[in-house]
Amino acid sequence: MDTDVLRITALTRGYGKVVANDDISLRVRPGEVVGLLGHNGAGKTTLVSQVVGLLKPHAGTIQVGQVDAVRHPGAARRHVALQAQSQTPIDGLTPRSAIEIAGRLRGLSSRDARASAVDLAEELDIGPWLDQRALPEGGGLSGGIRRLTGFAMAVAAPTALLILDEPTNDIDASRRRLLWDAVRRRGDLGSGVLLVTHNVAEAERIVDELIILDRGRVVADGSPAHLRGTQDSDLRLELQLPPDGADPSEEELELPVLRRVRTGRRTLLTVPAAEAASAVAWATAQRAENRIDGFSLAPATLEDAYLALTVHADPDADRTADPAPDPAPSHQETAHA
Amino acid sequence: MPEATAVPTPRPHPLAPVQVSLGASFRTMMHWSLAATGAMLPLIVLIQAMLAAGIIIGFGFVIPDITPASALFLSSGAPTILLLTIGLVIVPQGISRAKASGAFDYQRALPVARPLLLLVDLVVWALIALPGVAVGLLVAWLRFDLTFSFDWPLLILASLLVTTMATAVGYAIAVSLQPMLAQMVSQVLVFFVLLFSPITFPASQLPDWFQTVHAALPIQPAADLMRAGIASGSFTADARDLLVLALWTALGLLITTRALVRRK
Repeated sequence: MDTDVLRITALTRGYGKVVANDDISLRVRPGEVVGLLGHNGAGKTTLVSQVVGLLKPHAGTIQVGQVDAVRHPGAARRHVALQAQSQTPIDGLTPRSAIEIAGRLRGLSSRDARASAVDLAEELDIGPWLDQRALPEGGGLSGGIRRLTGFAMAVAAPTALLILDEPTNDIDASRRRLLWDAVRRRGDLGSGVLLVTHNVAEAERIVDELIILDRGRVVADGSPAHLRGTQDSDLRLELQLPPDGADPSEEELELPVLRRVRTGRRTLLTVPAAEAASAVAWATAQRAENRIDGFSLAPATLEDAYLALTVHADPDADRTADPAPDPAPSHQETAHA
Repeated sequence: MPEATAVPTPRPHPLAPVQVSLGASFRTMMHWSLAATGAMLPLIVLIQAMLAAGIIIGFGFVIPDITPASALFLSSGAPTILLLTIGLVIVPQGISRAKASGAFDYQRALPVARPLLLLVDLVVWALIALPGVAVGLLVAWLRFDLTFSFDWPLLILASLLVTTMATAVGYAIAVSLQPMLAQMVSQVLVFFVLLFSPITFPASQLPDWFQTVHAALPIQPAADLMRAGIASGSFTADARDLLVLALWTALGLLITTRALVRRK
């Protein structure tokens, strides 16, 4: 028997006139990490809230394992562990006691819960803070350690469906990597993972499937390779535009551009690998004339495809401030074509 | 990225759902809740002591040449004020904060029966509030050198019922109103309980219409019941007090349970 741990069909939910989830369908299988990507306000948290019974759908079905989660939310919650987007409330607790409590609530024995806390501290490298108490008003533990503790609480005991809502917020780069690996491991151990994030570049490495939400609708889904939609060898030419915002690539551009996305003061051009030299030459000339502030050339990523799907033409919807621009590729100034 | 170990594993069966007994869930949630609120306990006892001193010593200044009878009335009312202040003021403020920070919804998303969350809070707040009865009486004894005539079973029943009623109603206020509004209502309630309720003075001093209002509110029955338990030689309570308190408790529990269980 091969049952989905989560199957959502035609889910619709609004707040007043705003439709936050519009006819969404998706599935998560055991052992699979499914990324749910979207801008702020795309409807991701609304969707999660319906799965755990905080919000009631206006239409559609949610099946968690064999349980109808719309009709029996209490039973469905016994299959789900959620790390919410808000900080997990652990004031008064140490990370160790918080993880143990979470394990106990999910049926671990005291001994297993203690072992789980020790293992997770190792896995996430939070050992030095394990016995440091979280105090009210954000005292005692940093936001990053609190977030990691919240993650550890969600995974303290194996769960059929693990829902992580922006688990990497506040977390430093090295521990973020540990966390992504830990997420992947939970999938490999048999949990179905629904990973809500706007961190496209990092999530790409560990997900099996991606669902891209925009303004409450699924605008694309599939594997990362499928969604990237271009050759693996394709390159991304990123232009940093001057403050007045004129984009030289809108006019005379003698490059064969596969895809062009503008987001705020950045323009992302996807070009074939064979055009690397001419792309660099063109961009260097533009910079010499001060028509762009700078540029970088790197392998095309999923982020380009994601932006192409979700950046809107009208300025009101143009979310310019990507909170976590992928820093890695910009060091690769020269193409390896 | 070689460390992304996306090894295609054979699809396992879905993992089993959480199976934990209500008792075990209750104990674990108690542990959590006591750790979270427990840090406030010394502070709350201190506040109760200061409030008791304010009522007993401060009201003593308002009434010059206080008679032993009015001293006993004042003193036997102080514990009620302390219990009501915790339940109607500190509880809604705590719940409103939990709603605003997401902690409230976090707990509702746990694999725990939601009415159990309310039960845990009722017990924790009772543990926090009940020392107030002793604190209030201690301050009164120090000030007036009174002798109380305790009816222990009635005092224990009254203390538990008044605490539960106040916590349930305070909880209901917090889950029914927007956080800002809940805060304001709870502030206003302090003054209402302290100054406009027949706790530290007899109801007969109120205008008739206001006496009628208080007959339906839970405050006077709470005070009467507590008083009968503290100074059973001088005061009695009747079954009506018990009934009004029980009805308000039921109403508070009903509203709160509904808000906890219901999906928006």
